[in-house]
Amino acid sequence: MDTSIWISILGFLATVVLAFTVGVFYGGIVRKITARVQNRVGPPFYQNFFDIFKLYSKETAVNHGWMQHLGPALAITASVTSLMFIPILNGQGWPWFENLNFKGDLIFLLYMMVFGSLGMALGAGQTGNPNSAIGVSRGLSQMVGYEIPWVLALVALMLQTHSTSITGIMEYQTTNNTWMMFESPLAFIAGLLAMLGMFHYAPFDVAFAPSELSSGPASEFGGKYLGLMMTSGSIFAFVKLTLFVDIFMGGASNLIMLVVKTFLLYMVPVLYGIVSPRYRTEQSIRYFWGWPTAIGVLGVLYVVFIR
Amino acid sequence: MNSLLMIILILLGGAILAYLAKRITPVLSGIVSFLAILSATLVFFFLLDDQAIVKINVGNFILQWGVNDYSWVFGAMVMVMASFASFFSIAYMHGKDRLGYFYLNFTLSIMAMMGILFSLDWISFFIFWEIMTWSSFLIIIYNGISEGKIGIKYMIFSAIGGYSMLLALVVTNSQIHSFMISDLINSFAGFSASYQALLALLFLIAFGVKSAVMPLHVWAPRAYADSPMSYTSVFSGLLSKMGVFGLGLMLLSVFSKSTNSTIFVYSEVLAWLGAITGVIATFYAVIQTDAKRLLAYSSVAQLGYIVVGLAIGTKLSVMAAIFMAIMHAIFKGNLFMVVGAVEKQTGTTDMNKLGALIRKMPFTFFSALLSIIALAGIPPLGGFIGKWMLYESLITSDHYFLIILTFLSSTAAFLYSYRFLFGLFLGQEEKEFENVKEAPFTMVLPMVIAALALLVFGIFPGLLFEPIANAMTQLGMGDVSWNMTMLSNGWGDHVDTLSVINSIAVVFILAFIFLGLKNRKKTRYVTTKDVHTSGEIPTENENLTYAVDFYKPFERAIEPVMRRKMDFYYNKFGEGLETFFDFLRRVYTGNGQTYAFYVIAFLVILIIFSKQIFL
Repeated sequence: MDTSIWISILGFLATVVLAFTVGVFYGGIVRKITARVQNRVGPPFYQNFFDIFKLYSKETAVNHGWMQHLGPALAITASVTSLMFIPILNGQGWPWFENLNFKGDLIFLLYMMVFGSLGMALGAGQTGNPNSAIGVSRGLSQMVGYEIPWVLALVALMLQTHSTSITGIMEYQTTNNTWMMFESPLAFIAGLLAMLGMFHYAPFDVAFAPSELSSGPASEFGGKYLGLMMTSGSIFAFVKLTLFVDIFMGGASNLIMLVVKTFLLYMVPVLYGIVSPRYRTEQSIRYFWGWPTAIGVLGVLYVVFIR
Repeated sequence: MNSLLMIILILLGGAILAYLAKRITPVLSGIVSFLAILSATLVFFFLLDDQAIVKINVGNFILQWGVNDYSWVFGAMVMVMASFASFFSIAYMHGKDRLGYFYLNFTLSIMAMMGILFSLDWISFFIFWEIMTWSSFLIIIYNGISEGKIGIKYMIFSAIGGYSMLLALVVTNSQIHSFMISDLINSFAGFSASYQALLALLFLIAFGVKSAVMPLHVWAPRAYADSPMSYTSVFSGLLSKMGVFGLGLMLLSVFSKSTNSTIFVYSEVLAWLGAITGVIATFYAVIQTDAKRLLAYSSVAQLGYIVVGLAIGTKLSVMAAIFMAIMHAIFKGNLFMVVGAVEKQTGTTDMNKLGALIRKMPFTFFSALLSIIALAGIPPLGGFIGKWMLYESLITSDHYFLIILTFLSSTAAFLYSYRFLFGLFLGQEEKEFENVKEAPFTMVLPMVIAALALLVFGIFPGLLFEPIANAMTQLGMGDVSWNMTMLSNGWGDHVDTLSVINSIAVVFILAFIFLGLKNRKKTRYVTTKDVHTSGEIPTENENLTYAVDFYKPFERAIEPVMRRKMDFYYNKFGEGLETFFDFLRRVYTGNGQTYAFYVIAFLVILIIFSKQIFL
């Protein structure tokens, strides 16, 4: 086989390993930070690795049917496929990370990210646990809320850079030597507020609501299923952070900068969430359709009429 | 004999034979109808001669029938989905009564649709349009569910549409003295501005009623839900596309030639109406508890997207609209067949009562799953292709607020998509549905084939792009470039569907193998009764499930938008008319002596003022 196929396979594996490692580390670090804010010691920052390893080494697994059996497979398919279409490094980074960057665009990515939640929702549906169903209905309703300011922010970006692909937006930032964060500040603020909803940290965590719905949609998953879901969730967190950094903060030219930028960005929903109570579902939907949407609309008008 | 005439005669003959066949045995009715539609399909695909024109002389008029690239696309869609639906219908309608009446009207609807597509002159178009209207009316009232309200409502709106069309073509004839559609296309730009505006409005009303655009959509939800399900897959999948066919013809061939700015305003208004239809109908679909009503509202919403695509008028958006029309016919037809199968096996479609049919009806669930994924627009199935092209066309043509409305309704569509699957197939098992069996093979086969077709069109959209590009060239949009597996917009961004499906397939298969092989012997299946209840053990007759008021928080959040239904405004208008008529009754009293007085008073006035009047 010729070397380009080997390089693309290696690139695929390297990207997945990178996303997994960084995502799981972030999960553990967040637990440590949350604990310190709450005046506890907390687990070590590498705790999430042990959790996932423990889940994979369980001997038994219980499922309620083949749809639940396939749910985690669909979730990880969505996470890894989305990962393939996002540029990890800016510019001419290492060729290993190119993957499928030029084969899809932002709108495709929006729908691909929903594929994973749908897979998990279908899997959770077959279990018959009412808590899962309530969690899914709340999660989907919230999604209608935060998608509106998010799409407004993206539309503002797409109109300004005259391109709908992530590589196009990154090129615009490189050629104009700015970050979209400063070029369309209103779009950035709308996107940031929408991102608070996307990460499902407080105050928008009513879909999982640990003390109210025993873990929500993930209630009935255990053993290898829960391990695969945690893996997929960590990769997906990395995907969302990298997407945001790429389109608003100019991407990263090497891995260190990528880690620094994504970590700083991740601290926004995490730190805000640690000290927040929880919104009810209709309150969170009404919130997203209020100020964040207004800022997003202003951002689009700003791009159209002033730029 | 000319193939077009053959198709129409086969379908007409099939309809009459199906009615008569009921005397022998009812199931023969269905089989005759299916065979007629199947043979018409075979003639359409293999024997069609697109150069031939049929001319029939009727009195002073010449009816002309022919087929071009644009009508071929719609004709193929109609014939294929009608064959599936009629095959499904044989088993679905088994055991019901008045089957001759049902199949007569079923086949006549199909014949009328093919006639509409074949018409080259307005008279035959109108004749077939009206046949389609009354044959579908007769089937709406077949089930006898409040036929007074729903049937009459449908008839009124169809009559409004039909008479608008009649008025429009009579006005056209008075200007150019011809009933040919091609003559209207060529001479529209030469009409005066007021005639152009009038004709545009009349045609848009006529086709808007069939495509259920707000505010003309009020007949659609109950009409779709109350017909027998095998006909609804034809009704919402195919009859609505006749409105789309007409709208496309009008907007792209006729109106685009005019330079009048009023026409441009009509297109923009139509696009906004389509987007608002999408949003409001989706919200109504989310709060439904009956699976049939949910799908009916969802049909209205999807038609809204298609109207937006046509009204915007760029190449990408028209391609998106026609692609979405074809996809909608397939997946909505499929979903109504799924609901029909569930209704036949369990006797109800109430999502508050049903649940956990996935293990009992796995093939039905598989078709429903693929169709719902296509409806939601998720890759790699065909629905995503249409939605992607629509969004890209909205962005590249600067309709940025329409894209917000479209995205809002698209995201809210996830809600009712999940509710449909969860309410029917997933969730907690119910005692009364313990012995439900899978639907018979003849019902499952068309559903599964249609579901697989969605997958094929998602990976190879070029299979549909080629006929659609030819159709668009026929409409006068110039050269349209397409690619078998690559979607591109005007700015140079693209999506490669082959990479998408490769990536998805590879990762899914790896994960599937991992899940299947790891701890294979120790993975066990438990029923839905064995769930985590946080330490509380439910008693024998407590079935813990979540179904009623599934989206109550969402309902509360959108409550201001849903306060008034369009029906309210129509009712208010009707009441206003009645008040006016009450007033008129003081003049037209119905009393003969009053009328005699009017006549004498009129004569007296004539005599007194005869000098001024008859000068």
